Amino acid sequence: MLIDLCAYSNRWRAADPAAKGLFALSGLVSAFAAGNPLAAAGIGAIVSGMTVWGAGIPFSRFFRAALAPLCFFLLGALSLACSVDYRTGDFIWLPGGWTPVGRLAARSCGALASLLFFALTTPMTDQIALFRRLRLPETLIEIMVLCYRMLFVFSEALRDIHTAQDSRLGYASPSLALRSTGNLAAVLVVQVWQRARALHLGALSRNGDGVLRFLGPVFANARRDMVFAFAGSALLFALLAVMP
Amino acid sequence: MRRVDACGNENGGVDAPCPALLEFENVSFTYPDGQPGLDKCSLTIREGSRNALIGANGAGKTTLFLHANGLFRPQAGMVRYAAHPIDYSRAGLRRLRGEVGLVFQNPDQQLFSANVREDVSFGPLNLGLDQKTVRERVDAALDAVRMSGFADRLAHTLSFGQKKRVCIAGVLAMRPRLLILDEPMAGLDHAMRKELLSVFDSLYGQGITLLLATHDIDFAFRWADRIHLMAAGRCVAAFDAENLADNAEALEEAALPLPDIIGLRRHLVGTRALDDSRAPRSVPELLDLLMQRSI
Repeated sequence: MLIDLCAYSNRWRAADPAAKGLFALSGLVSAFAAGNPLAAAGIGAIVSGMTVWGAGIPFSRFFRAALAPLCFFLLGALSLACSVDYRTGDFIWLPGGWTPVGRLAARSCGALASLLFFALTTPMTDQIALFRRLRLPETLIEIMVLCYRMLFVFSEALRDIHTAQDSRLGYASPSLALRSTGNLAAVLVVQVWQRARALHLGALSRNGDGVLRFLGPVFANARRDMVFAFAGSALLFALLAVMP
Repeated sequence: MRRVDACGNENGGVDAPCPALLEFENVSFTYPDGQPGLDKCSLTIREGSRNALIGANGAGKTTLFLHANGLFRPQAGMVRYAAHPIDYSRAGLRRLRGEVGLVFQNPDQQLFSANVREDVSFGPLNLGLDQKTVRERVDAALDAVRMSGFADRLAHTLSFGQKKRVCIAGVLAMRPRLLILDEPMAGLDHAMRKELLSVFDSLYGQGITLLLATHDIDFAFRWADRIHLMAAGRCVAAFDAENLADNAEALEEAALPLPDIIGLRRHLVGTRALDDSRAPRSVPELLDLLMQRSI
């Protein structure tokens, strides 16, 4: 998993997630508030630079992670720029020209860069710990905890079942593939139910009472990280001020 | 000289059997779908002992463990812990589960959190301990299973054996008096088994009572103080491991063979290569005896 790989192998892995979250939030807010597309693009560039050169995420991985949302933005921008008159078949261009499109694209890219900064530098377990510190609803956090853990358990189960089917020619023809996929889904549903029950027993056996309590991680340089995050955030807002 | 017995008590030089820590008295349980679980099962686990529970698949080992931890309640009979019937109130179960730790067979069914340290902290935090104490316990538990270096790793990046050890740490962090392990050796290679065995020996050395399920009669004979046999939900026999050779009939009833080492010893005694007075429980012990004899 690309995002997980980056989150666990970057230079800022051990930095306080609150500091990374603050910087990412500043990037998101400043990109959204930027009236000037150049300022929004500049914010995107600074945050992307921090991700690639600061945290040491290889540009190829950063680009791969950004590719899908960028395609989505491109389609959105194009649909904003022009539409089709279904009666005549003519293209109708946005009357205001490309400026609103450029502003939207620049803001979106700035916001995307900020979110990617947080996602690619902060492991999910640290993110969850941060959300817990921020007093997000416990139910939401528990769903995140279980979904993240089960994602790997079930992807492994899915791979094993698929391999077992494939080894017995389960995907030898389109009709067989369709049938095998259906069977795979059915087996996984049963496994999900069994796992849920087993996890429930596992929680009870360790005195679980419905709330998933975990020890939060400790970050040795949290104060220093926050100082850097405030400085970085100030830089982003300063850019907004000089390029209104 | 001060003398401490296997139960961890000073007994003033008197060899008294350790008190029963966990007792099953005619416990019966049938699953809601009619599948039999336990059938008038009686069993005693003494404090400070190593116990192996042996039985074929479906014999009722896991069902028995779920009763021991208070996850299942007997439909007939009684389970006692430390001489008292199990109290199934919320507070009673909380106390019981703090003292009787259960490690499930499949680690992926026990690990909640993706992070090792977080998962190990789950049990002690549920005991209501403060963060500082929990951190100390988590570190000690990971150290006990030799997983300290993996504290900040993700569960899904660990090997099967490492996941099992994390599961054991998750229970050890609750400081149980009785540690129950459901087929801990299943799915492990030889090196991992050896490593896990040394973990068990170390826990036993710390005074923790151990009860584990296994299919491996050779391992049970070599390791356990006491062997309990199960078949079709019944606790068919229980005896000291050293008396296993005298319980061939009970083994047969549980569809189990005699350990290889017993057959080998009998052969060597028959050929007068070994005298009848010693009963080795492992190949290294047997080799030692043969070496002593040849010297």
